[in-house]
This record gives sequence, C-alpha cells and structure tokens, in this order.
Amino acid sequence: MVDPKTEIEIKGNINGSRVPSRLMEEEIQQAVRGGAGRVLVLADGQHGIGGRIWPQGHSVSVIVEGQAGQRLGSIGMFGTEILLKGSASDDVGWLNCGANITILGDVTNGAHNAAAQGKLYVQGGGGARCDTMTKHNPKFNPPESWYLRDVGDTFAEFKAGGIAVVCGVNPRNPENILGYRPCVGMVGGVVYYRGRIDSSYSQGDVRLLELSDQDWKWLTDNLETYLRAIERYDTHYKELSSSREAWRKLLPYTAQERAKRSTVKKTMADFRKDIWENTANENKGVGKGGIFAEYVTHPLTPLPYITTGQDRRFRPEWRNAKYAPPCQAACPSDIPTQRRAALLRAEKTQEALELILQYSPLPASVCGEICPNLCMSACTRSHLDRPLNIKGLGSASLKTEAPKPAPKTGRKAAVIGGGPGGLSAAWQLALKGHEVELYEAEEKLGGKLELCIPRERLPQEVLTYELERFKSIGVNVHLTSKVDAAQFDKIYASNDAVIVACGAHKARKLNIPGVEDTINAYDFLRAVNTGQRPDFKNKHVVIIGAGNVGMDAAAQAFHAGAQIVTAIDVQEPAASGKELEIARTLGTKIVWPKFTAKFVKSERKIYFTDGSIFEADEVIVSIGDMPITDFLPQTVHTDKNGWIKSDEAGHTSDPKVFAIGDATSLGLVTHAIGHGKKAADAAHALLSGRSYNRPAPKMQINYAKVKDAYYERCNDTSFTPQNEAHRCMSCAVCRDCHMCEVICAYGAISRKETADDIGYEYVVDASLCIGCGFCAGVCPCGIWEMTENI
Amino acid sequence: MEPAARLDNNHELTLKEFPYIIRWRDDRCKRCGRCTAVCPMFSIAPTVVAKRVVSSSGANPTPQVERQVVTVIKQSTNIANYCTGCATCTLVCPNEAIEPELNPNNKFLINKNAGGGAYTRGGRRNDPLVSTLDRLKFTRISMLTDPALDAGRHEFRIRTYLGRILPAEDLPVKFVNGSGELDATAGKFIPPVREIYPVMIGSMSVGALSPTMWEGLAMGITYLNEVEGMPVVMCSGEGGMPLSLFKSRFVKYFIPQIASGYFGWDEMIRAIPHMVEDPCAIEIKYGQGAKPGDGGLLMAHKVLKLISEIRGVPQGVDLPSPPTHQTKYSIEEAVAKMIQSMSMAWGFRVPVYPKISGTRTAKAVLNNLVRNPFAAGLSIDGEDGGTGAAYNVSMDKMGHPIASNLRDCYLDLVKQGKQNELPLIAAGGVGKKGNLAANAAALIMLGASAVSIGKYIMQAAAGCLGDENNRCNVCNLGRCPRGITTQDPKLYRRLDPDKVAMRVVEVYKALDTELKKIFAPLGRSTELPIGMSDAISADDPAIAERLNISYVC
Repeated sequence: MVDPKTEIEIKGNINGSRVPSRLMEEEIQQAVRGGAGRVLVLADGQHGIGGRIWPQGHSVSVIVEGQAGQRLGSIGMFGTEILLKGSASDDVGWLNCGANITILGDVTNGAHNAAAQGKLYVQGGGGARCDTMTKHNPKFNPPESWYLRDVGDTFAEFKAGGIAVVCGVNPRNPENILGYRPCVGMVGGVVYYRGRIDSSYSQGDVRLLELSDQDWKWLTDNLETYLRAIERYDTHYKELSSSREAWRKLLPYTAQERAKRSTVKKTMADFRKDIWENTANENKGVGKGGIFAEYVTHPLTPLPYITTGQDRRFRPEWRNAKYAPPCQAACPSDIPTQRRAALLRAEKTQEALELILQYSPLPASVCGEICPNLCMSACTRSHLDRPLNIKGLGSASLKTEAPKPAPKTGRKAAVIGGGPGGLSAAWQLALKGHEVELYEAEEKLGGKLELCIPRERLPQEVLTYELERFKSIGVNVHLTSKVDAAQFDKIYASNDAVIVACGAHKARKLNIPGVEDTINAYDFLRAVNTGQRPDFKNKHVVIIGAGNVGMDAAAQAFHAGAQIVTAIDVQEPAASGKELEIARTLGTKIVWPKFTAKFVKSERKIYFTDGSIFEADEVIVSIGDMPITDFLPQTVHTDKNGWIKSDEAGHTSDPKVFAIGDATSLGLVTHAIGHGKKAADAAHALLSGRSYNRPAPKMQINYAKVKDAYYERCNDTSFTPQNEAHRCMSCAVCRDCHMCEVICAYGAISRKETADDIGYEYVVDASLCIGCGFCAGVCPCGIWEMTENI
Repeated sequence: MEPAARLDNNHELTLKEFPYIIRWRDDRCKRCGRCTAVCPMFSIAPTVVAKRVVSSSGANPTPQVERQVVTVIKQSTNIANYCTGCATCTLVCPNEAIEPELNPNNKFLINKNAGGGAYTRGGRRNDPLVSTLDRLKFTRISMLTDPALDAGRHEFRIRTYLGRILPAEDLPVKFVNGSGELDATAGKFIPPVREIYPVMIGSMSVGALSPTMWEGLAMGITYLNEVEGMPVVMCSGEGGMPLSLFKSRFVKYFIPQIASGYFGWDEMIRAIPHMVEDPCAIEIKYGQGAKPGDGGLLMAHKVLKLISEIRGVPQGVDLPSPPTHQTKYSIEEAVAKMIQSMSMAWGFRVPVYPKISGTRTAKAVLNNLVRNPFAAGLSIDGEDGGTGAAYNVSMDKMGHPIASNLRDCYLDLVKQGKQNELPLIAAGGVGKKGNLAANAAALIMLGASAVSIGKYIMQAAAGCLGDENNRCNVCNLGRCPRGITTQDPKLYRRLDPDKVAMRVVEVYKALDTELKKIFAPLGRSTELPIGMSDAISADDPAIAERLNISYVC
C-alpha cells in the first residue's frame, strides 16, 4: 500500500564514495514505485535528478539538498514537485513535461530549454540560453519560468510557447536584465520582465509592449504562488506588484503579422528624399532629381511600354507619292500610269487618255508599238498575274486630241531635228505657249521612227496620225532643212533657246580589211523604209553587231530575200524584246563571241580571229551610230566623237543651247522623249526667266510595301482601259480606300479635305496613336511610313 | 534590276533558320498593335494576307468562292530583323496571343554575317549548360565537429578586405600603455585597406547602362550602406561618374574605373579638390572576361548630351576604348605606372587594383603585383562575364573560365605565403543559373577575397531579358526593351530607378541570408572562409582534380 507520506532519503555519497547518476536514478525510481511520496536526495553532483517520474496516482515530492548535477528535473512529469535547496547546474527542467521545479538559488545555462509543461521557479537569476525552444501544447497549460533576478544572453531563442517572467530584482546587469539578443526566432508565448533591457532583442521577431489588464491580472495572481515557493513573498511581493508600469512584455509577431510586415526599413522614396538627394551639410547627398538630373531635359518620371504623342518611339506619316511607282520609275519618259489608272477608275476616261499627252506626243507609236515597255517589266502586278497592259493604254490614246496649248508667251525656241527627242521638246515647248521652229533635214518628220524602224513594228498609219496631231498644235516645221554652221548661228541669234536633237546618223566604222564592201545598218534600214529595199534573194547575210538594230536589220534582210542571216557579236548580244523575237522567228542565227578579221567580198567569205569562216554575200555593220555635230559653234562642247555634252535636263556648255537624245548618247526612243521633255522644262525656265529647279529624284517604292494580297488574280486577259485601271495597284499613290482609318484600333487616323490638287489627306492624332504601324502594315499602296519620332 | 515578275522568294531565308519563331494566335489577337509598337527589332509587323475559301453548301456541287483579306502579324525573314526572343510582345499583349519560341535547330550564326559584318552583340557566353561553379557543392557540414552555427540565430559579419594587408611583422607598431598601435610616424607606407561586403557590383559604365539603371544600382548600393549597414560597393565602369555623386558623401561606396579610353577622367580629376570623401578604391581595367583581348566601343548614336558631358567628349562621336592602353608596353610598366599614378591622385589613401580577363597568363600579372607595394589586389574576370557590346566570337570562344584561373592564382599566392596579403577578386558568370550565393561562396572557398557580379544584378534588379540562349542580347544596339542598356529616353524611362534600387537591396538581403546558410555549417560567422577548399567538392573527378578539391558522388 502506498503511503504518500512515506519519506525516503537517498544519499548521493556513501562513505565518501559518490553514487553514480545511473544508480541514484534506479534508487529514486524504486522508491517511488515502492510508494514513497517524499524523496529526500542528498545529492553529490548526480545528473537528471527528479525526472521521468510517471504519475503514480499521487504526487511525488523530490527535495534535493547538496550539489545537484546537470539537468535537474529534466523530462519531469506532472505530479512531480522538485525543490532544490541551493543553486542548480545547467539545463534545469530540460524538456519538462509537467514537473514543478523550484530552485532556491540561481540556475545556470539552458534552464527550461525545450520545456513543454510545468513550472520553473528560480529564486535567483538564469544563465545563458534559458527558456529557449519552450512550447505550448494546447492540451495542457503552457510552461512557466520565473526568474527573480535577471537572465543571461540569448534568452528565449526560438520560444514557441510558454510564459517567462523575469522580475529584475537585484540584477547582475541593471542596464539589461534580459541579456544580449533575447527572443531570436521567438514565435510563441510571452516574456514579462521588469527593469531595463537594451535594443538587442530580436526586433524582427518580437515587439515590446506594455502589459494589458489580463497580463497584469495573470501576473499578480500567480506572483504570490511563485514568491511563496521561493520564500520571497514577504520581502518582494509588494515591490513586484506595486507598479504595473514597471513591467513590460515581449510578444512575438503572429505568423500573419510576420507575413504582412514589410522587411523594408525605409521606403526608397523616403531614402531618395532624406538621404540620396538631400544636400544638407551633414548629409552631402547628390542633389534634387538624382545624379543625372542636370544632364537631361526630359521629365524624370517613368514611361509605360505603350506610349502616345511625343513619347512614341515611332510615328506614322502619310507620304503620298513620296516614292515613285515602279512603272513610272522605270519609264524614261516618266509617264505616271498610276495617275492614269486613278482617273480611269474615277470614270474620267478622257482626262486619263489626255494625261499621257502631257508627257509624250507619241504614246500610240512609242508606248503602244515600239517601246520595250520597261514600265511593264517593273509593274508590281506581275507578282500576281501579269503586268498592267500599259502598251494597250498607250495605243488607247491614239485618237485623243492634242491638249490645248497655253496662251502665247511671245518667247521663241528652235528645235533642230524632228526625231522623237526633237518632237518631244517641240511639243512641250509649244504646249507651254512658246513659239517653236522645228528644223528637219529629211522630207518627213519622225527621225529614226520614220526612217529606220521597220514598218512591221510600227504601222505607218499610227505614226502618221500622231505626227499630224503633233503638227496640230502649231509648231512651225521646216522640212528638208539641214542645219549647217551658218544657219545655226542665225537660228541661235533669232531664238531665245535652241534645242539640238539631231540624233546619231553616222555609222560607226569597223576597222577591218574589206569594210568598204560592207553596208551599214542605218543606211540599210533607211533604204528599206524609203522604198529602196535591196535585193538579197538567196543570199547569205552576216550582221556584225547583234543588238536591237542588228535584229531589225536581220528581219529586213530576210524580207529582202536572204536565205541565211547570221548575227555575230563580240559579247553576249544585247538584243531583246520584240526585235529579237521577230528576228529569231524568221530564222536569224546569233553567234558569239566572234571577232571579225576581214571580209573578202570576192570570196563571199568573212573571216574571224578564231580562224572560223562564214559564207557571206553581204555584210551589214550594226555597231552603233554617231552624231554629226560639226555645225555647232565652239561654245557647245562635244567630245572627240562628236557627242554633245549635256546633263539629264539637256543643259550644254552654252546656257541657251540644250542637247538631247541620240546626239548626246544612244538610247531608246523613250529616252529621247523623256530627255526632250526635261530639256523643254529647263528651256521653259530659261524662257520664263526663272532658274531651273531640278525635280528631286524619287526612289522607287519597295515592292514589299505594296500589298498584293488585296487583289485577286485576274484570268480575263481582254483589254479595256477600265479593266487595266482596276488591276493597277496604285503603288506609292494613295487610292483613298480608308483602310488605314478603319484598321486603327485607337481611332487615331482620319481623312481631311485639302485645297490642293489631290483634295484630301489622311492625318494622325498623335495623342491617340501608339505607333504600332498597323496603318503602314495594311496600306494597299505603301503610303504610310513609320519614322523615328524625334 | 530584275523584272518585278521574277522576284519571288529567291535568297530569302525560311523562318526555320531563325533562333526564335513567333507563335502568333490569330484566334486570340485583337489587332491592337501593342506588340508591334514595342518590338525592338522590327521582327514583327502587321500586314495583310488573302484567304480564299471554296465551299459547296447545296445538295449538289455548288461551288462558292469566298475571298477575305485579313490583317495578321508576320515575322520578318530579314536576318537584320531577327526575333531575339525577348518576348516584349508577350509582355504587352493583353490576350496572350503572341510569344517567341526558341528554335534549337536555327542557323542564326551561319547567316548573321550577312553584309560582311561580324556578328556583334551584348550579353555573355551563349552556353546554357551548367557551369563549373554550379558543379561545386558545400560538403563540409559541421554538426558535432566544428562549432556548428545557426544562420538564423547567430550573428554573422560577412566582410572582406580590399587592399594589401601587410603581415604583422611588417607593420610598424608601437606600444602605448601596453597595447599595440600602428605607428604612422615610422615613415613606412601602410597600404590603405577597405572593409567591404564580399560581393560587389562589377564595372558597368554610364553609357553601357542607361542613366535610370546606373542610378538605380548606385542608389541601391548607397541604401545598403546607409540603411542596412551592408558595405556593398560598386565599380563605375569606364565612362566617368556623375559629378554630383563623385562630390557627394556616397562616393566612398564606389570604385571609379579607369580603362584604355580614360573617359570621364579629366572631369573627375578636376573635381578631386571638391570631394568630401575618398572613393572606395580605383580599378584599372586591362581586360574584360566577356571579350578578352578586345576593347569597348560606345556607338556614336548613344553619345548624347548626358554621355558627352559625363565622359568629357563631343556629342555624336564613336567612343572606342582600345583593347590595350596605348602607352603601356609591359606588365611592369602598366602596373607600376598606372597604379602609382592613380594612388598618387588621392595621396596613397585609396586602394588601386587592376582588373584583367581570365587568362593563362594571370599568374604572371599576379606575381608582378605581389612585388608591387602599391597594388591593392587583382580582379580576374572569367569567360562568362557579360558586356554591352562585343564580337560574338570574343564572347563565345575566347577567355578563361574563372574557377581554375582563380584557383591557380590563389594556390600560387599560398606557395609564396602571400594569400592573406593580396586579395583576389573573382568575376565572370557568378549567379549565371541564379545560384548567386552558392557561386560566390564557392569562389571564396577557392580563394577569392571577393566576387563581382554584373549580369546577375541586371537580371535580378531590372528584369534583363538576356540569357544564354541568346535571348535579347541586343545591348549593343541601344534598343534594350527594359531600358537597361540604352540611351534613348523613350526606352530607359521604362525603368524606375527607385524600383531598381529596391531590388538591389532585396537581392543583397537575400544573398546575405544564403551566404549565412552556407557559412554557418562551416562554423564561420565572422571570418570569410577564403580558400577553405576542404569545404567544397566537385561532382566531377576532372574538375575536382584540376581545382585540387575533393571529388564526391
């Protein structure tokens, strides 16, 4: 039968011999199992006294006298009361599970470490790392640790629960009764203390607060029990309970508070204001606006990624006709086919057909018949199906009447030469109201068109019709008027400007034996066109020079009855287009490279430097023509071969004299017409007393900017001007379709009427535009351009 | 000119040649144009395409043609407008309709020399594989052996020294009242030494960086010193410093750099009498890890008013920093002349050290410095260092990895017993995979007294988009979509310096925690484990052998 009043005394030293901790532990356990309610231990440094006494149905009281070892009361259980009559060693109450431990002295390091339940009453102070890692199991009351004096460093680290009370009576360090850096990692429980502490407590984990009513009630309620247990009630109760204000508590932040709490000690805005930019004497910061403010002019505020107005990186610009459409860029006569198409689409057919006459007096003959139509090669539409039929559009202007010339200016200009260049220059000058005298050496106007272009390529009635239209505007034409030096002087004196368009009619000579027996192509073709076609029946004809004139000559040789026609060249032949096609169809053989050594008419043989020999009855030399310009005065400079030196507007070394076409360098008919127009413009400026403003050359629009996706392949090849007009993609020229206005997601683009020829423009509201480039991306004509927004 | 009809896809590259392919979703796109408004490379543009649908809906074949022209976003096949994968389009798209996708089979480098120019870019070595530094692990975890420390509980003082530390026996010491004090009157030169945080921000110039970025870094550094008490320092890079900073109290947190272009130095030298503090140190740049053997070039279009005034040059001119200092013909000369001159400029009160690119000749430089009483250290920038502009070949194929280069140098110092005298600063690829603290700690244990970071801080503090799959990396073009490496206010104003600064602070606070987590198990809380190579191991025997550390598996 158990008797709780049974007291057993256990000695830690028997006859001068210390009892090992293990044996003392066994003795204590045996005594308790034996029913002892009071165990008096006379300790001699034994460890772990008083712990692990599992409930026996009654409480067990362990009174320790003498020197207790480490871990007094560790793993103490509910129902165990431990009283140490003196100071303790380390780790008192380690992992306390419910024992009430009273120490009538000091505790050293690690007291109540990991305590989960129970109480630790300390009459003195604590060492380092006391009350660390204590916790509160919600099934039981929290552990309590009471210290009358103060505690050592790193108190209550990782405290997860439980109550610590440090009364601050007679502390060893009155300035800091909680030691250095208490409460690191503390997440639960509370520390009540009385007295001063320093700022080393873990401010990131706990906050320092005054005691609440409940705190104070709990403290004063429990203070008596504690003080009585350590035998200090009478001396200290009043002192400790007299002033609530003397107490403070350290309370950990809750997990929620911790999550919400900013770790930022100072906002960057405050830092900027108080420290970074603060130039006060004691601070010596960098100054208002920061370190770069003095170097920049823009606002110092951040910008979003999507910006409008001045802050856009790029802005769209409506650049109507800034670039040249490929057709116009390719056309030496600068004919604006896209404008013609626009007029046709607007059902202004007559205006459309007339428009071309502003650029050329011979659209049906040149565009419509003999021109290789560089415009069509360049046409963007060929990406999709086939180029616009600009040839057809040229022919369509055949019956169109000449435009009405401007009122007479009274100024006089002379044009020497009635070939394409001269006709073009005379036409332009006459349309501008000047009085024009045209001198032509031959009996007919037309130059090489009349004399050299085979009739099968240029029907005579077409040319004749257009020459008649030319005459209708009132140019004074002097036929069979070959100009010599004396006459030139007269013309020069009696006119305000002279345009030399005498062409190139002297064949270049080939320097080989037998050259005297050859015919030159110019003479041959001219003979054909003037009805003096030679008879080449069954003959072998060799043509030296396989360019387009050579091809015309080859075709005419066949027409003259030749059996075999061979064209040779020193390099890859330049022949192309219709000329080549006709010559080939008729059976012309083209051989290259061949360098002619000699022609022996008597042997009917032509010899080449590579040793080869062709049969040849006739040899036609077609290696180009040269101008005859010996009638010009010294003031008009020519090169040693007679070519007149002039610029693209025909200006020569004599300000009054302009030179154009083949007289300046060999080219296509369309080159001569274009040159004629430009020279007329320059001469017009001279006649009007203005300086000539050279038109700024336009770059051809990049094909990729024209959006062919808008257009459907057209399988109908029948020609009408209307059909062609609708096929035109209006490269580089706005077709007023509103795509840009509609695509803009920000409503930044609108159409505005203007007073100019065009009558409208599209404008951007910069305050809405973000510079995304959708207008440029969808514009069918490539008008919108994104430019850097500087 | 080719006739228009013959123009087709001749000589056009297919998108499969390109490094990133734009995945654009027609069904999600609302055609708001935000993506095309921000694309730095004009890689994407709106255009129109035609759709032709032939359908039959009747009971019999009743063909109907419907033709539609719709707006789309198209990727350019012009190599000059290649998509860099920066994903700024994705960033601004409200509908998640657009995104670049890495094309691992690209033939970008094969085609990028179009026009005859060698490919130049920003960023660093395009090698996304795991670096040597990331193959090192900390294997000495003291639990019951060395005093185990707790990173959360114990106080740490993570600091290092910049400057030459004389051995105790060489220090002129006098005893006053029984305790030793330095005797400044002994007539012996006592080298200046700074106590700094061992991870510093490396040299990135005003010019290479935008003003908002540079100020953000500078503010962050100053905040760390002034508010957090962390002595983090930053090197200016070559391009001068804003004089308002130079003349402020905060200049002590900065290391002005002098390099072969000497930009900004006349401005700074004239301002020396107006300084209220000495700078932390002076760095003399001889080489750079990202482009060993090559210099720098700030393109004329970046040289606007700001750069011109700070660097002391006219606007709109190219600013080359040649690969070499023109008047320095040998190590001896370079070291002796430059270090002494720069030391003299501040009365020998400021540590002066050279920076070189990682190289097999690093030890030769080091040994020279060991014998130079004024040399304050050596900074070695390994091949994974970044740059704002360099030839791709320099970046990808030239240079020395930092790990073994540093290790060789450190062990060389150890042989001479000088390892505690002359600090080595290591840089180049630190934090490449995000493991900033681990990489820094590994370098310290291999022998670095400090490490220097650049690209990492750009990525972490300002969201730099660049990576080792050559994403973005157009710093050289001045079109940085983040506003980090551009002088265009429209772009750099995207960056808020205050936010950059706060991120710098956050980065360093997190770094500090991680360094503690690494150092605590070593039992080190106050002394940096410089050269403590028994604490690291490599998971590769060859690396372990080369670095003279243990191999673990």
